[in-house]
Amino acid sequence: MEALYDRYCRRAFGLAYRILGDGPSAEDVVQEAFLTVWRQADRIDSARGKLSSLLMTVVHHKAIDVLRSRRGQTARHLPTDPGVIEHAADTLDRVEQSLDREAVRDVLSSLPPEQLEPIRLAYFQGLTHVEIAERLSLPLGTVKSRLRLGLQKMRSALEDRVFK
Amino acid sequence: MKCEEVEELAGAYALEALPAETLREVQEHLESCSQHPEIAGLRAVASSLAEAAPEMEPPPGLKTRLMDTVRNEAAAHATTPAREAPVGWLRRTMTPRLLPYAAVTALAVAVVALLAWNVYLQTSDDGVQGGASVYALANGGTAQGRILYIPEEEVAVVTVEGLEPLTAEQTYQVWAISGDTSTGIGIFNTSEGGEASAAIDVDLTDAEVVAITIEPAGGSPQPTTEPILQAKL
Repeated sequence: MEALYDRYCRRAFGLAYRILGDGPSAEDVVQEAFLTVWRQADRIDSARGKLSSLLMTVVHHKAIDVLRSRRGQTARHLPTDPGVIEHAADTLDRVEQSLDREAVRDVLSSLPPEQLEPIRLAYFQGLTHVEIAERLSLPLGTVKSRLRLGLQKMRSALEDRVFK
Repeated sequence: MKCEEVEELAGAYALEALPAETLREVQEHLESCSQHPEIAGLRAVASSLAEAAPEMEPPPGLKTRLMDTVRNEAAAHATTPAREAPVGWLRRTMTPRLLPYAAVTALAVAVVALLAWNVYLQTSDDGVQGGASVYALANGGTAQGRILYIPEEEVAVVTVEGLEPLTAEQTYQVWAISGDTSTGIGIFNTSEGGEASAAIDVDLTDAEVVAITIEPAGGSPQPTTEPILQAKL
């Protein structure tokens, strides 16, 4: 556990802080996330290689929960059970294997603002696409297509990096 | 929900930005429709956003608190019986149609196969059942296992027991062998008791043998050790 913490605490804390914007809340989330993963270690034993990505997903979901309850919004109940989020972790793991963190940041910053903003609101603010449409005063259909287009653009940019 | 609507919502779904009711409709659709290969890829991209946040050094007090909690809980757990680690917990982990992407890249432990597993294996220990075939994995040692292959889903469920637990530098790797061509189709590790159960998205139509070897962590392009277990298909 200590090794796990030493290895991933900066990434976990960085993500929680990015979402929550304050140290004490980020600390709580990171502590809870590490404990969740540790408590369920017997259930994720067969996926040892994916522990880090699982951890990051738990951090993300817990931080979004805190953020939403702070804003008085209804909870999203994003899964924080390692069993339930197995898939997301699996895919994140793949990205990790093939890409450095800088690549993700580069690709993200290369998105046009009208695609970046909805993605940012969804991932880092935990808004639903309906809430994003309200927030940005855009038709729901526009938000749907910008979320999709933005991710598609990220994917092809990431793939270019992997294969170039 | 129709295919077109699901496609429209692919980005919001991948980013987990759907309200609960819509999410349920999309998931239900994906469980029975294989026309949306894009979604798994978009999910991978959405997950990668975790990497976009800059790393930050947490305050040192966090580690102290965390390790204290861990030590206290570990002490409490030591006096209670070990919990079970049932296979069924994976049931809700993912929608079936996310399988292909995951399998192209890594071992896929998938709900579709586990559901199939429950359906097929609770009714039959051996032989052919509802289009699925079961093959015994053996190699003369104490380790043994089975492969359940469902051709129409192109899913193989490998279950093994009696395997030696490996070090962190090793992994078990599953191979589909046809003639002298070996294709790595997945890697797995066992529980402490030497058991494992994994679903692999793979077309075994042309495979003659499925074998399991011990390889360096992460797997090898070709087998580097003799099979621990194998099954003739």
